[in-house]
Amino acid sequence: MTLPLLTGVALIQTTLLSRVKLWGARPDLMLLVVLVWAVVRGLDEGLVWGFIGGLLIDLFSGGPLAATVLALLTATLLVGQPWGLGIGSRVVRLLLLSFIGIVAYHLVLLIVLGWTGHMVHWGFAWLRVAGPSTLLNVALAPFVLQPLILLERTTRQA
Amino acid sequence: MRPSPRSGGGPYGAPPRRPWLPLVLFILGLLLLVFHESGYLAPLEYVTHYALDPLQRILAGATDLTGDLFPTVREARELRAEVEELRVEVDALKVENVRLREYEAESEQLRALLNFVSEYPVSTYLGADVVDREEACDTFPCGTVVGLEPNYYLRYVTINVGARQGVEVGMPVVSGGAALVGRVAQVGPRTAKVRLLTDADSSVAGLLQTARVTGLVNGQPGEPDDTLRMEWIPQDERVVVGDIVLTSGLGGLMPKGLVIGQVMDVVQMDYELYQAATVRPAVDYTRLELVLVITTFERISFEEEEPPPEEP
Repeated sequence: MTLPLLTGVALIQTTLLSRVKLWGARPDLMLLVVLVWAVVRGLDEGLVWGFIGGLLIDLFSGGPLAATVLALLTATLLVGQPWGLGIGSRVVRLLLLSFIGIVAYHLVLLIVLGWTGHMVHWGFAWLRVAGPSTLLNVALAPFVLQPLILLERTTRQA
Repeated sequence: MRPSPRSGGGPYGAPPRRPWLPLVLFILGLLLLVFHESGYLAPLEYVTHYALDPLQRILAGATDLTGDLFPTVREARELRAEVEELRVEVDALKVENVRLREYEAESEQLRALLNFVSEYPVSTYLGADVVDREEACDTFPCGTVVGLEPNYYLRYVTINVGARQGVEVGMPVVSGGAALVGRVAQVGPRTAKVRLLTDADSSVAGLLQTARVTGLVNGQPGEPDDTLRMEWIPQDERVVVGDIVLTSGLGGLMPKGLVIGQVMDVVQMDYELYQAATVRPAVDYTRLELVLVITTFERISFEEEEPPPEEP
């Protein structure tokens, strides 16, 4: 189930969602799905989804292969840690964890792009790209939570 | 987010069942990165594209169909204003066109008088704004944009022509009106990835149409709009806002005379040797659909002429 689902997400990301801009930022479905899955299902499965999802995104991208893989793995590793357990309600916890994960995602993505010889303007990237994108995707995380909880219940029963 | 028993990984907050998994996946990711950068994975990526490209084409087709169903009010308002602006511009251009035709005729007469032969004619083959789609596709590989770049910091589009249609890395890609879109960066069997002018790594030799000054046009990606930056313009040259930036053809990688964009702003510091200009791209990348790949063009030759053989 994982591969067809994540392939679908990657295709939607590269065709439909890449055209969508909300308040100057792009929604990142793959990032949200992987992070929320790590929160719903646990670190191990989150990491596997991060690896496969990142690889699919990299295949559709013109950038270096595995850049998104490494960024997603780092974000999932942070989000999947137990430190979120003692924090407020479920939604507050999700928002905080997503924020940490998405910031880490952008940080690693920029580092890998820099390593592989791509031009990276750090200030510009954080102010104009990573900042708005983080805020938007954190706000969208709760909307991804419910469908993934449903999926988790369905697959658990199966 | 309550813990749930399952056969996969551990529940959220519980210690992972496979503590070695993060390390293994990270090492695998790093290896992929290293092998990709070394070029060892190119055949594998080529094969993967074979499987994924048709899916992307199908979904892109569906997206185009549904995407038109949701035009926003803001877009409609913007378009109306844009139409009004363009009408005024068309009227002005019609007048200018008549004037330029006169100049052209005069120039031809003068050239004939001087027996002047232009070595690099300005418009050797470009006619993308006058030929229709089918004619264009007979001459150049004609691609439809099927995928946009998912990485935030890169600017690429995927088009549905590739190695099978004769597309090669480095070929220039244009849209309607001879506006430069970018250059082919990667080629798959049936698709190609085009690095847009607005990508941070994109660099093209540009020429200001009125000032006749050359410079280097680099990509400047950003939200909400991507722009370009023309650098290395000598300080003593007068750069006017609104001037058109064309490809200069220098370096031989790009044909001369393709439209890059229009100067929006001039950045001039008295203490610097060069000035820069912010350029608005001629192409609206969010609405990019049909593009042409230029497979052959007349390159400016920089080779020195061979000296005539000495007579014995």
